[in-house]
Amino acid sequence: MNHATWPARVILIVISAVIVWTVIAAQRGKKLFIRRIPGLTAIDEAVGRAVEMGRGILLSSGLGGIDVVTLQALAICTNIASAAARYGTKVQMPIYEAALLPIAEDAISSAYNKAGRSDAFSSDDVRYLSNQQFAYAAGVAGMIQREQYAATFLFGTFFAESLIMAENANMVGAIQVAGTPSTTQIPFFIASCDYVIIGDEYYAATAYLTRQPTLLGSMIGQDRVKIAILVTVMLGFLLTMAKLPLVKNLFEDKDMPAASYYSPAKGGK
Amino acid sequence: MFQVQHGAALYTYIAGAAVVSVILFFALTLVPTKLRRPLIMAVTFAAGLFYALEFFWPVSGPESDQKNFLTAYIKPFSDITTVLQSFALGLGVYSLVSIHMRKVARTQSGWAYSLVLIVSMIVMVIAHIGKEYIKSPWVHQLNDFAYSGLMKSLDATMFSIIAFYIVSAAYRAFRIRSTEATILLVSAGIIMLGQVAIGQAITNAIPNEGLTANFRVENMANWILKKVNSPAIMAIDFGLGVGGLATALRLWLSLERGSYFEEEL
Repeated sequence: MNHATWPARVILIVISAVIVWTVIAAQRGKKLFIRRIPGLTAIDEAVGRAVEMGRGILLSSGLGGIDVVTLQALAICTNIASAAARYGTKVQMPIYEAALLPIAEDAISSAYNKAGRSDAFSSDDVRYLSNQQFAYAAGVAGMIQREQYAATFLFGTFFAESLIMAENANMVGAIQVAGTPSTTQIPFFIASCDYVIIGDEYYAATAYLTRQPTLLGSMIGQDRVKIAILVTVMLGFLLTMAKLPLVKNLFEDKDMPAASYYSPAKGGK
Repeated sequence: MFQVQHGAALYTYIAGAAVVSVILFFALTLVPTKLRRPLIMAVTFAAGLFYALEFFWPVSGPESDQKNFLTAYIKPFSDITTVLQSFALGLGVYSLVSIHMRKVARTQSGWAYSLVLIVSMIVMVIAHIGKEYIKSPWVHQLNDFAYSGLMKSLDATMFSIIAFYIVSAAYRAFRIRSTEATILLVSAGIIMLGQVAIGQAITNAIPNEGLTANFRVENMANWILKKVNSPAIMAIDFGLGVGGLATALRLWLSLERGSYFEEEL
């Protein structure tokens, strides 16, 4: 779908409005509760382990460019870097996409400032490696073997290189926390990492770690939208079973005359 | 304005773009600190609004090529993004070279590898750019040797290592320690057997029709993939889509304060 159909326009605007409304409500002081997410609780455990062992932490934001997934990864990494800096633990972040380098450098340096350890930040710790998939993987694997990290955090878009990085970290005995929206890589992370953040937990990470009202509000908004989607899926299933493909037709790729949305003969494929 | 230019017009455009960039750069440095955040917010909102409007605005034209009044500007806007990202490549190369040059200059441990990296980088740049402008065959031979002979082979080597890592990761994951690991082991075993001829041969004696067909290993594997795995992935994708939309909205409307805008810029 290159352009929105009328149902898509209405649905996307309603979804966006729900999310923005809960964000604004949270910013105005509404108390919100989020459940415990084991993978995210493990982040503190991994940082604590690195502090105890006196070894460094590796952060990777994956192979994405400047997009929502990578910016979310960077936000998670910033929080981890801040926690690590507070206890004087070294953090290193290899970068795949050159355009991300200044943003990552600024974010990690801000994390050190926030922890009151700006003197401990070295620009060499956020370094560009390569924008070639396996050259980047080889570079990260080399860093892991040389630095013998106590903990590695792999967040962002990953492809086949995910296993190279995770297995090398396993070889040096690092505790590993990974999170990716790349559904094809989730099984590899589950097999090789200690904790994996799955699905939309990935986007809940910053809210969970910072408890910022804006992020909490956004997360609650997402949950409300997901409940609505679930209800729609159930409704669509029941209506389709009753030979009334209204919901199915609403999600077609092209606009159709209003009456056709109710019609099994004209609507749908 | 957004058409491909040649000759004098091309150089005029390049010079014009350079002058505008320099003016913009100095203008941005003069922006008072208090105004920087609103400026970033405004630029972010305007950039996002363009793509949102282009997607939502009603379209017209033949079904295979539907457009609205903004569609024609999608390509130039994505070109601008590409150009901006290309500038950042220089920063990346600078970061890489400065770290390794320092290592070589101070003869720190592993400095020889850093030297190899710098020399390789120079050779690759000469070979790859040189083949476009230098007619001499040695440049082409050097490019073939460096790119096809070395880089592609090294890439393939790294990729093939994954096979061994899959085995070691699978060994750890499939060790029967819990109910979940047992389910994982059994389902992975069925799917693996269902994908290979020798696995299918095990249940080849079972008729492929009627109720008994469900016990053929390839049918069990297909059932797991289509009825269990696919819906689970779709459910994950639903959550990811909504999460991505929420994050995009926070960034676009500059509602995000927790990660990037906690401190006043």
